[in-house]
Amino acid sequence: MSNETMALAIIFAFVIGTTIVGMIPGMNKKMSLEEWAVGGRSFGRWLNWFILAGEIYTAFAFLGGSGWAYARGGPTFYILGYGALAYVVGYYVLPAIAPIGRKHGLMTQPDLVEHMYDSKWLGILTACVGVAFLMPYLQLQLTGLGLIIETCSYGVIGRVPAMLIAFTMVAAFVYLSGLKGVASTAVIKDVVMIVAVVFFGLYLPIHFFGSVGGMFEALDAAKPGFLALPGGTKVLDVSWAMSTLVLTSLGFYMWPHFSANSFSAKSPDVLRHNAIYLPLYQICLIFPMLIGFTALLVLTPALKVPDMAFMTIVQQVFPGWALGLVGGAGALACMIPAADLILSTSMLFTRNIYVRTIGQGASHETQARLARLLVLILTAIALALAIYAPSMLVNLLLTGYSGVTQFFPMIVLGLFWKRATKIAAYCGLITGEFLVFYLVLNKLDPFAIAGLHLNAGFVALVVNFVVFVVVSLATSTPATIERKAKAIG
Amino acid sequence: MNPVKVILTLIPFVWTIGMLPFVNTVKPIVFGLPFLAFWLCCTIPISFICLSILYKMDSGKNEEE
Repeated sequence: MSNETMALAIIFAFVIGTTIVGMIPGMNKKMSLEEWAVGGRSFGRWLNWFILAGEIYTAFAFLGGSGWAYARGGPTFYILGYGALAYVVGYYVLPAIAPIGRKHGLMTQPDLVEHMYDSKWLGILTACVGVAFLMPYLQLQLTGLGLIIETCSYGVIGRVPAMLIAFTMVAAFVYLSGLKGVASTAVIKDVVMIVAVVFFGLYLPIHFFGSVGGMFEALDAAKPGFLALPGGTKVLDVSWAMSTLVLTSLGFYMWPHFSANSFSAKSPDVLRHNAIYLPLYQICLIFPMLIGFTALLVLTPALKVPDMAFMTIVQQVFPGWALGLVGGAGALACMIPAADLILSTSMLFTRNIYVRTIGQGASHETQARLARLLVLILTAIALALAIYAPSMLVNLLLTGYSGVTQFFPMIVLGLFWKRATKIAAYCGLITGEFLVFYLVLNKLDPFAIAGLHLNAGFVALVVNFVVFVVVSLATSTPATIERKAKAIG
Repeated sequence: MNPVKVILTLIPFVWTIGMLPFVNTVKPIVFGLPFLAFWLCCTIPISFICLSILYKMDSGKNEEE
C-alpha cells in the first residue's frame, strides 16, 4: 500500500469508528432534554474523568503546543502549570455548584448565574458572552482538523472537504446521543492521543539526539536562553507568565462547557475525587513540546507555519502509517472537544436565549427539538467561519480565555459571598469584557506597565474584581443578602 | 477555614506562580528537562499530593457529620 492510502485508511478508521461509538447511546432511545444535555446527572467517576480530561487535549494542545515550542521556546512551559492549578480551583468551585444545580434543575452556566442573582437578563447576557467566546473556540477545532487531515493525507484530502466530512459526523453523534456520546468517544480519543504523543514525543528526540536531555542540551547550545522566559519572544517574560498563569488557572472552569460538567456528575464527591487525579493527565502536555523543540533543531528550511511542526517532522521521518496515526489522533483531538462545544453552545441558545426571550413557555419537548436542530445550524456556521476566516490557533484561545475569565468574580464570589449583588455582576462583567476587547483589539496584549508585561485578560480581571467588590459593598442591603443566602444555601 | 487547608491550597500556587522569578533558567538540566520546565512539571505531582490530602481531610469530616 502506498503511504497515502495507508495514512488515509488509518485516519478514516479512527474517525468513522469513533462516530459509530458516539452514536450508540442515542440509538433506539428517546432522550429527554436532561438526559441529552447533562447525561441525566448520572456520571460516575470514570465518565466524568474522561469528559473533563478529554476537553483539555484539544487541537490547541496537539498543534499549538508543538507550534509554540517551535516558535517561542520557554514561554510554552506555562502550559505545564496552569492545568494543575485550575484543578485546585475546581476542587472548590465545582462541588459548590453541583448541589445547587440538582436542587433547582440547572443545566447551564447562565442557568446558574440567573438563579444566583435572580435576574433573567443577567442570565441572557452571560449566555450571549458565552456563545461569543465558544464560537471561535469551536472554529479553532475545525481549522485545526482541516490542517491535520490535509497534511496527514499528503494533500489527497483538501482542508475544506476534511472539515465537511468530519464535522458532519460530529454533528450526527451529538444530535443523536448528546453528552453521553461525547463521554464515550472521549475515552477512545484519550487512549489514542496518549499513545500517539508519548510515542512520538519520546521517539523523535531519542532518534536524533540519543535522549530528551541530549536534545535540550543541543538546543541550549544552538540558541542560548531560548528555553527560559522570554525565549524566542521579546515580551513574553516572567511577569507575562505569572499573570497568564493566574488568568488561565482561574478562567479554566469559567468556560461554559467546563462548568456544565458540574451538572452531569452524580455527586459533589465525584467532582472532588476527580480533581485529585486530573492534574496527572497534564504531564501529557509536555510531549507535543518535545516534538516542537526537536523539529526546531532538525527541520530545514524553517517552517512558515509553526503549528505544522508536529506533522512536518513525522512526515519527514516516518512512513505513511505513522502519519495516519498522527492524523487520526489529531482529528479526534479536534472532533471530541468540538462535540462538547457544539452541545454547550446549543444549550446556551435554547435555554438561556430563546426560552428567555421569544420562546417563553416552550415545552421540554420543543426545547429538546430546538437544541438538536441548533447542533446542525451551529456546525454549519462554524464551518463557514473556518473556511472563510481561519487564523492562528493560540491567539484565538488566549483571547477566549481572557473573555470567559471575566465570569470569575460574578460566579465564584456569587457562590461564596453573600453580599455579591446583581448590579455588581453587571458592572464587573461589562467592565471586564470591555477592557479585554479594548486591549486585544488595540494590540495592547501583553499590557506594558512599569517594566512588566501583563496578560491583557489579567489586567481586565483585576479591574473587574475591584469593580465587583466595591459595587457589591455599595449596593447590598439586608434584603439582597437574605435572598442570596437562600439561593446558594 | 482550617489553616492546614489554606496552606495546602496555596502551596501549588506559590510553587508555580510565586517562585517563577527565581526559577527562570535553562541550567541545570534535571531529568532531561530545562530547569524552568522541570519546575513547572513539579506543579503536577505537588497539586496531586495537596489535593489528595485535602480530599482525605474533607471526606473524614463528612463521615463525622
